[in-house]
Amino acid sequence: MKKLTLGVCLALGGLIGATTAGMAADKMIEGNLRVVIGSNATSGDTYQVSAIVTEALGKKLGVDAKVDAVGPSAAFKALARVTDGTTIMIFHDQSYLGYLYGIKGYDDIFADYMVGPTLAINPGNGYLVPKKSPYKTLEDAIVAAGKGTKVRVAIQPGGVSEIGFSALKNAVKLRFPGQEGNMVAVNTGSQADKDQLLFDGQADIINGSVQANEQYTRLPAEDQKAMSFVWLTASHKAIAEARAEGFGKTSRDELLKFVEPNVNVTQDGKKNFVFDKDFFIIYNKNMKPELVAYFDKALQEIYAEGKIATAEKAAFFTPNFLPTAEAQPYLKNKMNDYGTIIKAIRQ
Amino acid sequence: MDILSLLTPIYFVLVFVGIVVGIIFGSIPGLTATMAIAVCLPLTYGLNLNMSLALLLGLYVGGISGGLVPAILLKIPGTPSSIATTFDGHPMHQKGEGELALRTGIVASLFGGVFSAAVLFFFAPALADMAIKFSYVEKFLIIFFALTVIASLSKRVLVGLFSGALGVWISLIGTYDTTVGGNGDTRLMFDFMEPYLADGFSLLPVLIGVFGLSTILQEAAQGVKGGGLAGMALSHRTRFSLRVFKGQMVNLIRSSSIGTFVGILPGIGGSAASVLAYTQQKNFSKEPAKMGTGVPEGIIASESSNNGLTGGALIPLLSLGIPGDSTTAVMIAAFTLQGVQVGPLFIGENPQTWDMIIVSLLVANLFMFVVMFFAIKYIIKVIMVPKHILYPGIIVMCVIGAYAINSGIMFDVWTLLLFGLFGYIAEKLGLEIAPFIMGFILGRSAELYFVKSLESFGNLTIFFTKSPIAMLLWVLIALSIGYSFYSVMKTNHQAKGANGG
Amino acid sequence: MGSGFTQLFDVHIEFSQSHLVFPAIVGWVLVVLFGAIVVVYGPGLVREFRSGKRSLALGGGDFDKFRFLATIALTIAYFQSMEVVGGFFPNKGFGFLIMSIPVMFLFSLLFVHGLTARKLVVIGLNAVILPSVAWYVLKELFRVSLP
Repeated sequence: MKKLTLGVCLALGGLIGATTAGMAADKMIEGNLRVVIGSNATSGDTYQVSAIVTEALGKKLGVDAKVDAVGPSAAFKALARVTDGTTIMIFHDQSYLGYLYGIKGYDDIFADYMVGPTLAINPGNGYLVPKKSPYKTLEDAIVAAGKGTKVRVAIQPGGVSEIGFSALKNAVKLRFPGQEGNMVAVNTGSQADKDQLLFDGQADIINGSVQANEQYTRLPAEDQKAMSFVWLTASHKAIAEARAEGFGKTSRDELLKFVEPNVNVTQDGKKNFVFDKDFFIIYNKNMKPELVAYFDKALQEIYAEGKIATAEKAAFFTPNFLPTAEAQPYLKNKMNDYGTIIKAIRQ
Repeated sequence: MDILSLLTPIYFVLVFVGIVVGIIFGSIPGLTATMAIAVCLPLTYGLNLNMSLALLLGLYVGGISGGLVPAILLKIPGTPSSIATTFDGHPMHQKGEGELALRTGIVASLFGGVFSAAVLFFFAPALADMAIKFSYVEKFLIIFFALTVIASLSKRVLVGLFSGALGVWISLIGTYDTTVGGNGDTRLMFDFMEPYLADGFSLLPVLIGVFGLSTILQEAAQGVKGGGLAGMALSHRTRFSLRVFKGQMVNLIRSSSIGTFVGILPGIGGSAASVLAYTQQKNFSKEPAKMGTGVPEGIIASESSNNGLTGGALIPLLSLGIPGDSTTAVMIAAFTLQGVQVGPLFIGENPQTWDMIIVSLLVANLFMFVVMFFAIKYIIKVIMVPKHILYPGIIVMCVIGAYAINSGIMFDVWTLLLFGLFGYIAEKLGLEIAPFIMGFILGRSAELYFVKSLESFGNLTIFFTKSPIAMLLWVLIALSIGYSFYSVMKTNHQAKGANGG
Repeated sequence: MGSGFTQLFDVHIEFSQSHLVFPAIVGWVLVVLFGAIVVVYGPGLVREFRSGKRSLALGGGDFDKFRFLATIALTIAYFQSMEVVGGFFPNKGFGFLIMSIPVMFLFSLLFVHGLTARKLVVIGLNAVILPSVAWYVLKELFRVSLP
């Protein structure tokens, strides 16, 4: 019996252990590659996209590579210790938004670490209302807040979930100066908690995602759990390049209705606010430039081969590879934009 | 496609492998069901959804069930949900009834597992609709209810309550995490500790420290005398027969229901289920004074409830897309990796997968029963292993578990040592460990739901007036406190009677 | 909010301070319970200390100071060295493997009574086999992270 078990385990183990050599000849990584991520969950989008990229990277570099879901503070700590490229981090915009919002444990990634290439966008971040809400569109809610009605938005504080809310508040401020106090954050945690606040009537709008909430939008209106999307924060481009079938039974065309320019949240009176949730690599600050180039080259080849795009799209990500030199100014720019918004509503 | 055509030999092999690997993970102190699923997740890339679920459900059931083995034989809960199994299981083992205890636990596990699978099958959507009636306020009251059991777990009520409160206090050390809705600030520490304590102490290292390492320290302090663990007479073995379950039907059903119910409510923490069921059995027992001295009814309560948890925790997962406990939270990844979305429409849109889940759960429970029931003969031999071989092995396995539980964090290993020492000293000081652990397990949720209730409503009376469910929960809390005082008095009375006679 | 009576129970929690609310409550509960324990059990304890029935010394008559302290020292050395050694072989789990073997051996020697050649062989084999099997199965097959 035990032998059989071991046999099956060995067989299963062999399946995943098989690696093919790519750039193995001029190997620069000694030992195994550890990819720490800024999330503790193996069920979230960060783990999912990291697993796809890590598997491809491991094969290409001919090393044993594994994703470790250690969470943000432990991930940054692990990264700070290792300069030889055997530990790298994958995370998303939370890494600098946490710093902008002043959350403990987040440092300026541009000063204390090295920002690496971008990998993909999760275009699913969005906002929902109950199906029976008086607000049929996001515009309704902005105008209501502008006219003095309190609009409560359930978010997770200090990052990706809050930035859309900050933009809403900023838009109210720009269009109805002095009324931005009517856009109120209800600080909560997981998606389950946000949904629950909506069911309880303790929130008018919740932050959510296509992946987590799509089925709720297809429930009949008389169901207490029924919701509708009012806004997806991604850029028009990111949704337009997503899988054509869309997600679940909601097609891409339906999703495009909730994206700018069909939904307008002004950023400065002229430009529309968009937020693409970008996943990217972060390196130790003192990692050698040759290693940066080494990883860039490997990823360049992986993305050129195209298989990874299929895998990412299947999991509802939009591939978005930028090598380090392009990724750095791109992300720095985003950080400056969002920093301006956060500062504006703090005054 | 007909469901029978899916029940291929390879399907059964996968469930079987899941069960065996799960039992091994569950029965090694330090390794848990959650970890078994997490490490086997990559193995499912190559399988289709039904086959992956067969493997993962096998791991889940096996992992939860395997925990009873070290709980009974070593007094170390193999997995957090088998804490209450140690209360009566280990004393039974010391009386030489280890085999009886193990077999009783396995039968109770089977009952709990099948019970919860039936509940899942017949009532999933209805119960999910009920689950969303529980907002922050009701969830806080459930936690509060679970905390009241500390009183009836304690040998001395005041000391027990103090230990429980200390557990809560220690669980709060760290960051009030933004991912649960906190403000991300640290508390209960000095600034220089922040780099180490920002994430606080994790449950698993604390648990195996307090139960596992501290036992070894205690033994070391006493010189590690006696060869094997069993100075316990194996000779006068009590044979197992189903008669053990006579008069325990109510216990079985109540405990399984408690397990399933706790599983249904997301964010309550599955580990509380077995302790909750145990104390309710104690409150209703004809002879509460005997609970904790090694009676089968304690094991029945604990083990039927923790397997009852499995089906319960799958209910919100499959009908809301929300995991009911930490293990099903890992399982959700199997769905996302396969590109299948779980949510309120999942069951309706994937009837075949849904049927397969129920079948897998039943098959897994049956396999678990068969494998464990017949493996006991060999498992029980672990007590023949001399301590100088066994203990170093336990230390090594605990290190693996602590390091791996959060995917490789050295601080968790140090936590193990810290709480090993704490457990040793606490015992010397007369603090009570079970209430401490209960407080630690429930502390963070208690805080979150309490503070968030007040943030939302801004008035203390909301805890009483929020809903009929809230009022009902207060009745239960009052009954639980009343019963525990009553049983303390009854116990004292019985003890006095015994002394007098 | 509400009528005069319920107003008495109004609480306003500032989000930026919300991390301190519950620790403060639990802190006070601890103080009160501790006070109650002192009142209820204090006098009895004082009596026991005076009469010498109880003492603060760590063990009683059969306290094995050497085994106890050595166990702690060895555990600390084990944890510390594991990380250092592991650092030389990034993410391969060798820190665990290399350090567990001698540490298990020493633990066994520390705990054993009446050492014989046969016991020594068993201890040695166990110290080599268990960490190796654990490392191979968990790290290599299941890809669990090890130091």
